[in-house]
Amino acid sequence: MISDKLRKVILSELDLDDFDFQDETKATEVPGWDSLNHVNIIIAVEKHFGIKFKSLEILRLKNVGDLQNLVDSKLNK
Amino acid sequence: MNINEVTNSNTLWERWEYNSIINPDKEAIIHWLGGEEPVRWTFKNLIDAAKKFSVIIRKWGIKPGEVCAIIIRHNPMFYPLYLGVLRTGALPAVLAYPNPRIHPDKFRQGIEGMSQRSGLDWILSEPDLEPIVKPLLEKKESTIKSILFPLEADLNNEFDQSIDIKISDDVKAIKNTQPALLQHSSGTTGLQKPVVLSHKAILEHVKNCASALELTDNDKIVSWLPLYHDMGLIAAFHLPLAYGITSVQIDPFEWVLAPTLMIEAISKEKGTLSWIPNFAYNILADKTDDEELEEYSLSSLRSVINCSEPVRHDSHEKFAAKFVKYGFNPLALGASYAMAETTFAITQTTPLTEIKILEVDRTALAEGVVKIANENSIKRICVSSGKLIDGCSIRIVDGDKNDLLEGFVGEIAVKSISMFDGYRNYPEKTAEALIDGWYYTGDYGFLYEEDYFVIGRKKDLIIVAGKNVYPEDIEDAVGKVANVVPGRVVAFGEDDLDLGTEQVAVIAETLLEDVKEKNNLRLEIMKAGMAIDMNIHKVYLVPPRWLIKSSAGKPSRNANKERILKRDDQQVWSR
Repeated sequence: MISDKLRKVILSELDLDDFDFQDETKATEVPGWDSLNHVNIIIAVEKHFGIKFKSLEILRLKNVGDLQNLVDSKLNK
Repeated sequence: MNINEVTNSNTLWERWEYNSIINPDKEAIIHWLGGEEPVRWTFKNLIDAAKKFSVIIRKWGIKPGEVCAIIIRHNPMFYPLYLGVLRTGALPAVLAYPNPRIHPDKFRQGIEGMSQRSGLDWILSEPDLEPIVKPLLEKKESTIKSILFPLEADLNNEFDQSIDIKISDDVKAIKNTQPALLQHSSGTTGLQKPVVLSHKAILEHVKNCASALELTDNDKIVSWLPLYHDMGLIAAFHLPLAYGITSVQIDPFEWVLAPTLMIEAISKEKGTLSWIPNFAYNILADKTDDEELEEYSLSSLRSVINCSEPVRHDSHEKFAAKFVKYGFNPLALGASYAMAETTFAITQTTPLTEIKILEVDRTALAEGVVKIANENSIKRICVSSGKLIDGCSIRIVDGDKNDLLEGFVGEIAVKSISMFDGYRNYPEKTAEALIDGWYYTGDYGFLYEEDYFVIGRKKDLIIVAGKNVYPEDIEDAVGKVANVVPGRVVAFGEDDLDLGTEQVAVIAETLLEDVKEKNNLRLEIMKAGMAIDMNIHKVYLVPPRWLIKSSAGKPSRNANKERILKRDDQQVWSR
């Protein structure tokens, strides 16, 4: 389940009003979320939650659910 | 290494085999994978595996001269497969594996258009692509004979010595003027122009490029560039392979997600040379984390060569400012001017020599005159793309193709010993661009004290992160979106100063007035872009008859771009 906070960060970075994010949603399904924008979204998420991701952690992300889990694991540390 | 000795080879295969004999255990290619041990191909192992692939290629019935499109993701077996195809005398043509967002029909149409144009005979790919490509094979007029899956082949069991000997004999008969490979002048699938290069063109280019780069046996190239792009294929793959030095190949998709991978690879493998488009300087400087970089060093780099996009001074400055503390020598900032039509480079800066920059008067430059800026000038900083490399010539010409003197801006026309013979099966495009042996690039630039500066372009081409995008493709897709007035769309490149590149912007006429409806239309336009694998960054909606027409009666890209970027028209809706 994607948290409202994460949803808002992504929507704001992509300048979208709304999108029906599911755990399985992949970046390629979201308008504006291309490979160039990906790094901006990751940085925006890091900044918003006050966390840092490692490159390998980013490479392993397959969908938005994975990103949510990674955020949660960082916040629970 | 003695360059003359290197240039004795007749064909690419002969050169590679020679390298594998004199340096069998030297690493040819290091296949880089994020978080995993790299796969290391020595010259000998690579050649041995390539021979095995060539036997399979021959067994499959692929004939010399036939074009094999290779559509494979980052995979260590790609390299021997490519070499194996070339050994048989067939022409490898590397194509991009489709991004998941591209609509299968659109991808298929692209391949179909390319097959009619380039005469693709075979597709060597992964099984995942079969359902997408298969309908194309069933078409009566298709040139494509079959889709084959070389990664599934059993190299050892399929090997047949008698076939290998036969291929070995055939190789000796190949002349160096014969076609070696087919590359596409970069662009979107529908409008890519196929360029066939001979063994001689590539080997001559390697010699001249190596000389300009002062290449030595100790050089090591690190690259994340896709191999369907001329910069990746020629500079970062053919050049090291033919010269007998190592290249490190990083997955482009992994790099863009985790740019630090390139720094890690340079540091761990002691890379000395790298080619990157301008936007990558910004990404590496702004989007990599110092905590992750702590353990890395860039002190081994002799040159990071900016190519495939206009070179921006501020991108170089921010890159140097960020990485100097990681051992990067600012003198290693380099640049090159290159294109598929001349195999690759025409100009090159000298490694570890300060790159020339010129502060010029922007107003005078707009009038075609290079005038060094004074205190009253609105300044523009131009960065040199280097000096001519051996075997190449440049003319700067006016609109009537008359030569201009040094210090005047004009179209760049080029000639090279490694020149293409024309676009394959595309006589009308060839006639447009290739006149009396000169290739008219459509780029604007000038010469100043032996250095060439590229400052703009005549064509409406958009360059997004080093990738050429033709506005026609986007206009065609957006023109079909409901509520867009058909034919009333203009696409253009808008500067993204943060990323140091251009982004795609679209102006579309619509009858819609309600803001909610306009928001929905914006989303639909972005989705239409996604279906052709284009990210439409900015959508401007305007009322009917807003777009300015050119004399030909079509909406003018330049005039409408200028009008929209004034940002003073209340009728324009965007967000």
